[in-house]
Amino acid sequence: MTSATAPPAAGPSPVHRRPSVLLRVWWSDTLAGWAFISPTVLLIGLFGLVPVVWAFVLSFEQNDLISPGKWVGLDNYRKLLHDPAFSNSVRNTVVYTLVFVPVCVIGSLLVAALLNRRVRGITFYRVAVFIPVVTSTVATATMFNWLLDPDFGVVNAALNKVGIASQGFFRDPKEALLAIVLMTVWGWLGFGVIIYLAALQSVPADLLEAAAIDGCTRWRAFWRVEVPLLAPATLFLVIWLTINSLQLFDEIFVTTKGGPVGSTTVVVYYLYVQAFQFFNGGYASAIAYALFMAILVITAIQLKVGRRLSHGER
Amino acid sequence: MTSSPRRITALAMGVVAALALAACTGGSGSKPSSTQSGGVVQITLSHGYTDVEAKAVTAQVATWNASHPKIQVKLVFNGGNDGALQKTLAGLAAGSSPDIAYEYGSSMAALAGRSQVVDLSNKVKDPSFNWADFYSFERDAATSNGKVYGVPALVDNLALVYNKKLFDKAGLAYPTESWTWDDFRAAAKKLTDASRKQYGWAYVADGSEDTTWRWLAMLWQAGGDLVSADGTKAAFDSPAGLKATQLLHDMAVTDKSVYLDQGNGNYLNLFNSGKIGMLWTGPWDLSSINSDVSYGVQILPAAEGTHSSIAGPDNWMVFNNGAAREQAAWTFLTWLTSAQTHGEFTLATGDLPTRASETKLDSYTGYLAKYPGDAVFVLNLGNVTKARPNTKSYPQVSQAIGSQMQGVLIGQTAPQSALTAAAQQADTALASGQ
Repeated sequence: MTSATAPPAAGPSPVHRRPSVLLRVWWSDTLAGWAFISPTVLLIGLFGLVPVVWAFVLSFEQNDLISPGKWVGLDNYRKLLHDPAFSNSVRNTVVYTLVFVPVCVIGSLLVAALLNRRVRGITFYRVAVFIPVVTSTVATATMFNWLLDPDFGVVNAALNKVGIASQGFFRDPKEALLAIVLMTVWGWLGFGVIIYLAALQSVPADLLEAAAIDGCTRWRAFWRVEVPLLAPATLFLVIWLTINSLQLFDEIFVTTKGGPVGSTTVVVYYLYVQAFQFFNGGYASAIAYALFMAILVITAIQLKVGRRLSHGER
Repeated sequence: MTSSPRRITALAMGVVAALALAACTGGSGSKPSSTQSGGVVQITLSHGYTDVEAKAVTAQVATWNASHPKIQVKLVFNGGNDGALQKTLAGLAAGSSPDIAYEYGSSMAALAGRSQVVDLSNKVKDPSFNWADFYSFERDAATSNGKVYGVPALVDNLALVYNKKLFDKAGLAYPTESWTWDDFRAAAKKLTDASRKQYGWAYVADGSEDTTWRWLAMLWQAGGDLVSADGTKAAFDSPAGLKATQLLHDMAVTDKSVYLDQGNGNYLNLFNSGKIGMLWTGPWDLSSINSDVSYGVQILPAAEGTHSSIAGPDNWMVFNNGAAREQAAWTFLTWLTSAQTHGEFTLATGDLPTRASETKLDSYTGYLAKYPGDAVFVLNLGNVTKARPNTKSYPQVSQAIGSQMQGVLIGQTAPQSALTAAAQQADTALASGQ
């Protein structure tokens, strides 16, 4: 720093009077910072924090969302423990998450590795992989509704061509949840690919070069050098995808509406039914808070285990 | 230190944004400003009409405003009737409601009895209003706990719509008004051709109210009832209920003559492309049938001699914004729902008459000539003898039945066990009295 040559605008100056305390606070970086973010803070506070607190209060009430509620203490939470429809929705959500997250993470890694090279038209492939991410969920779901139509869908037509019998997909209770997994992996894959691509490109080239000089094959270098270095990206993806799959809703709402026979009723869809079809606002809020606690705990465990794993590999 | 003017600008922008935000939120939460000035009462009517219906209602309101300087009506589009209930509820919570709003019949239970919703029981008793002129099921649907909270705005019902070409090709006679379930099932089977992926019938099997209400028509045809007379217990786990459920099972699982629509409305496209022989649907679908498809309309088949249909009448509801506006709203609504005014509306839109006397108007022959498909639907209004109960637990009862019938249709659940399970869930919902 060449402090000697800088004009002492803010420092004590014998010529100018020092600005008053108030004015200095007014000009301080902190205040300017708050001013910049105040619109966002206000909006998030209004539409984010207020409902969060409100829902917490609601979860102790019997409330139809309009008339004044009735305080029922922990009744809603107690009811949760004995509601077979709720435990069914928990089971569906867990199954979905356990299938969706690994498939999506591994799939993203493989596709990212394929896209991380210099091939003619690589930009086109990268864009193609990312397009489903920016496609609206409703459009995706409508498209899959047609593709997977048991009678008139393209997928069954293709299966029949290679001698496989027609599948029920969204109409078959045993297949509906897997069909949802298929659809959402298609939608999310591009997101995972982008994260992995960025991480792959930050892998130092000299490490790979050194591995090659030591006689390491390209495949071994991928497994032994690149994949371990991707650990932070993997951790982020696993947590992010888990949170999102625990909150699955849109895709269900547009395709199966929780059916057939409850086989795709996930927690958030059940919450929606309770809140906006049955108008059990209090009970729905209790479901929301149970889900919130579950996500909090699962994320904490993932962070802890994940950090230990990625440290251990270094 | 860097130049401070920029910072001050930023700060000012932040403050302005905050103020603007506060102004917005303040505005939407407060009551609309007083709408009474110089003896003129201004009222708002919220609706979800689009297309020809929107044009017709706009023209009618313009006519009214021109001839009634003391009561001026402003139309507000609610963004679509599917979200009308949620909008209305949010408006009630925020303390700002329109004076008149269009609401689905199924929303009645959620709105009836609220302090802001005007009880119209005494108003409709006025002999000049002629309440008895509305079809009885419409009056039932506008009533909750013995009190009238709505005036019928629109009425529909289910009838049998069939593709004449497919009947001709299969060598089948067209459905008649004396058809039984056996005739219906046999025809559906004959119209089915697995190799061409052609089905006799289509059923919406998404487990929603769409699944339930068609089954309700069958339950009533078989002589059954949904709930007990006092409304506290499920009454559909009965021989009639089993008969209706068995028919669904026999057609969808045994005969495989039913296309199961997953709630995305594919059935109409397939009907248009000649893949489905018969539909149970309402007049709202007629305008979506392609002009090259030659179709006929017939009343639904009967099980125990009754050709019961089901209707989902929608209502105009009045909200309390002070006595003057309430009175003005009623005066306007009386005119809007009179046989003369509504008759003109149906002539412009093809909607069905809501009052029996509309069929005696001079313009009615013109209406039938203009909308030939509607004739059977109007006739079929006489087959609507029962209404869905207006209780807060109806959505839960509907969901229990819809989900179980979905299981029956895909061959997952046996008819009797589906009924038992649905009745059990319905009993729980009805007992909790919500």
